[in-house]
Amino acid sequence: MQSPFEPKILAFLCNWCSYAGADLAGVSRLQYPPNIRVMRVMCSGTVSPHHVIHAFQRGADGVLVAGCHIGDCHYIKGNYMTLKRMTFVQELIRFAGYNPERFRLEWISSAEGVKFAEVARDFTEKVRSLGPAPPFEASPRLAMGI
Amino acid sequence: MKTKVRQLLEDGRVDAFLAYKTIHGVPYPALFTRENVDELEPWAPFKARYPVTKILLAQARQNPEKTYGVLVRGCEERSLNELFKWNQLARDKVVVLGHACTEDLALYCECPKPYPDQLDYGEAPAPVSKSRRLEELEAMPENDRLQWWLSHFNRCIRCHGCRDVCPVCFCTECSLEHKELIPAQKLPPDTSFHLVRAVHMAGRCIDCGLCEEICPAGIPLRALYKRVNHLVENIFQYKTGVADGKSPFTMLGDESFLPAGPR
Repeated sequence: MQSPFEPKILAFLCNWCSYAGADLAGVSRLQYPPNIRVMRVMCSGTVSPHHVIHAFQRGADGVLVAGCHIGDCHYIKGNYMTLKRMTFVQELIRFAGYNPERFRLEWISSAEGVKFAEVARDFTEKVRSLGPAPPFEASPRLAMGI
Repeated sequence: MKTKVRQLLEDGRVDAFLAYKTIHGVPYPALFTRENVDELEPWAPFKARYPVTKILLAQARQNPEKTYGVLVRGCEERSLNELFKWNQLARDKVVVLGHACTEDLALYCECPKPYPDQLDYGEAPAPVSKSRRLEELEAMPENDRLQWWLSHFNRCIRCHGCRDVCPVCFCTECSLEHKELIPAQKLPPDTSFHLVRAVHMAGRCIDCGLCEEICPAGIPLRALYKRVNHLVENIFQYKTGVADGKSPFTMLGDESFLPAGPR
């Protein structure tokens, strides 16, 4: 029997706000699906397009990038870069033919444990409804086929 | 052309001038100085294109105190503007003479500005604002487009030709060569090779199309970068290659136009 599809979601959470927000969600005993795999980064601005695309290539069904709210960045202006870069990356994967809804950018502060749980639930359901992600990796087999 | 360049060289305005020399019937970029200015040929329209501003950048890096003149097309002038803005070349160390592209070259490139602002030779052909290859791609269903791109990326032999020929790829260290970010010794390389290069081209690509022409695997990179330019224009209201302004990605803070997003 085939087991039902469980999405794999990779979340990049910034050390100062969103990771603390996720921590708060846990400490507050808030329920959210276990599909989110967290990766802590020092600032959401350090998340390179390399990381996002790499995650999709290695089989992530969704990628979440979360950082401090605009104006609250621990490094003053790191998340301005996140916003500019990630908006661009999202539009680019749309053009590459990949569903841009598999990618999400959110601002979650360290006090927003409830918001983190909500985003986790909402995003997991969204990705679940989209189904397994199509392969995003170039393979020589494909080249021969087409 | 000879008189103008000779004048520039004799006045000491430039130390060398980068123009073309016909070798075996094909124009080839060559550096002219006071010694060999007599070899300069009269200007005539031609279709061959070279990364002249990249050659200029290499020259200027070796001889930072020298002043250069250069003969540019529309796209090459745009790349010069970008190199000025990204602080790779000094504006006062470069003198520009411009020449227009031919009409069929403009159509082939689907070039929105096939002539430089500084137009000295030739007549400006009509700009081509619409890109048919891009429209066809955008009309494709999402999944077909993914397969289309993957089938092209699969042919990549990782020669780095697109990067090496690119007039605005000026970094001395390139993340495409990072062994962990893009695993080494893997063919075809990861999809991120092309997509990350596309991200890096945002706010830089001036749509010269040399990447596509040089690609030995014939990957239609130009459509990808044309789209990148449209995105930068739509999201950040910034037109790459214009003489003033700065790329939104060079500004750390909120000085640039911020896209709509979660706040």
